[in-house]
Amino acid sequence: MRRNLAAARLAVLSQLEYRINFLIDAVLQPVISSAIEVTLWAAILSGMGTHQLGGYGREYYLAYALWATFVGRVTINWMYEFLMLDEIDSGRVNAILMRPISFYEFYLSQFVGYKLFTAGVGLFLPFVICLTMGLPLEISRIPWMLVSIFYYLVFVHTLSFTVACCAFFLNRAHSFTGIKNMAIWVLAGELIPLDLYPEPFRTWLIHSPFASGVYIPVGYVTGRIGHELFMQSFLSITAGTVVAGGMGVWLWRRGLRAYTGTGA
Amino acid sequence: MSVVIETKGLSREYKSYRREEGAWNAVKGFFKRQYEIKPALKPTTLTIEGGQIVGLVGANGAGKTTLLKILSGLIYPTGGEVSVLGYKPFERKSEFLRQISILLGQKAQLWWDLPAADSFNLLANIYGLDRIQAKKDWLHLAEQLDCSAQLHTQLRRLSLGERMKMEIIGSLLHRPKVLFLDEPTIGLDVLAQNTIRVFLAEYVKEHQPTIILTSHYMDDISRLADRLLLIGRGEIVYDGTVDGFVRHAEQHLKLDIQSEETDFEQVIHKFFEKESSGRTARRPLPT
Repeated sequence: MRRNLAAARLAVLSQLEYRINFLIDAVLQPVISSAIEVTLWAAILSGMGTHQLGGYGREYYLAYALWATFVGRVTINWMYEFLMLDEIDSGRVNAILMRPISFYEFYLSQFVGYKLFTAGVGLFLPFVICLTMGLPLEISRIPWMLVSIFYYLVFVHTLSFTVACCAFFLNRAHSFTGIKNMAIWVLAGELIPLDLYPEPFRTWLIHSPFASGVYIPVGYVTGRIGHELFMQSFLSITAGTVVAGGMGVWLWRRGLRAYTGTGA
Repeated sequence: MSVVIETKGLSREYKSYRREEGAWNAVKGFFKRQYEIKPALKPTTLTIEGGQIVGLVGANGAGKTTLLKILSGLIYPTGGEVSVLGYKPFERKSEFLRQISILLGQKAQLWWDLPAADSFNLLANIYGLDRIQAKKDWLHLAEQLDCSAQLHTQLRRLSLGERMKMEIIGSLLHRPKVLFLDEPTIGLDVLAQNTIRVFLAEYVKEHQPTIILTSHYMDDISRLADRLLLIGRGEIVYDGTVDGFVRHAEQHLKLDIQSEETDFEQVIHKFFEKESSGRTARRPLPT
């Protein structure tokens, strides 16, 4: 636990060395994305001449769009996945391989540490805006939402670890990150709430582990989904982590056998 | 003294993609890759006892770094057996990793964005060291290496020599029993090289670790090493003392040594010249 806390602290210290980057990542990007999505949903609903879509009113869409972009920023992994890929690709992974801590554990600790910090800063804004504008918000559900988000981060990190292991075999594995994160953006429901998709896609998507990236926590805190579906999402995350973890371990072991110690 | 490192027929091959020049060959290579397998380390049998400083010398591509990486557990061997402190290095068990350290002169192992002091604190936590004692240790080491003033500067802003001193402190913080040093003085000025040599000599006297040292600066080897392993094209061609190598080089490696060329550096240069022209005798020297 001591080494995990130290690695988490390293993440925060490293990010604080670059203040502008941190503010862009934690605040500016989600603020801009949120403004775009809120405007988009307001335009769609007024263009349709209706106050309801899929059984939910305008204020639900505004609250969803607001939270979705901020939660989506917390639950996506760009930076640490690039770092892991780069460490393996360049051979800097040696520094971790020779320490009594695993590569997976070291980066999970850093990733969670960094996200704790950004979540504290980033999720405060939608909370204040929802309260100020009187948008739907179940305050008592916020602690559970945070638990769900941080449990989901284990799954996200495991996916990133699996992608990073590809760098043992392929030189430009960075392109996988882009494809994967674009897919997650849609599958998590950041762009469109998953309950608007037609059946059977709606059911599949809502029960996939990716839904816990945005749709489940945001739906739960804005009162869009119930407690039962929310609790079921923990099972989906666990299943997803086990599958992704199995692939990651397999790739890692094969990768180390092929590794030359100077980069892939 | 007890045996710390033991190998039997240890070898490693590297597989690499090969393609002829030109656009058509690039298109062909897209669909069908041709690989070639190169032996980086030919079957090697070796025993190293505790408390020794072993100098591993060879030309670029001779296989010395490969041997070092296998012994430290960074890479898997392709064949043979290896044991370091009773462990198979490539399994990288936590108890093994706590007893060894590797310093790769050409690759930073501390965290680039942080001051070295933060990196040392992190290492103390990773190794589960007592924080107060660890801090005393790194302050003491920094004093010995004359780099205390740079401890709180971001690593990326340090000069090469200062960075290398920090890397050395980072590699010694947990007091390893076996220390692998791969070109620790590479690219440093004469003064910094000397500071590091003096420091290493004193550290060894005090703590008695086993050190495997590679370097292209023969002063590093002649001043520090108790034993010389000369490696050429993936195999060990000499195992003995530095003095022994100079005495027997002409006779056994068939080097054309002039009467005035009797120092180690000159003899090694002759060896490298022979090595690059592929005419070196493949007969091991007596120790």
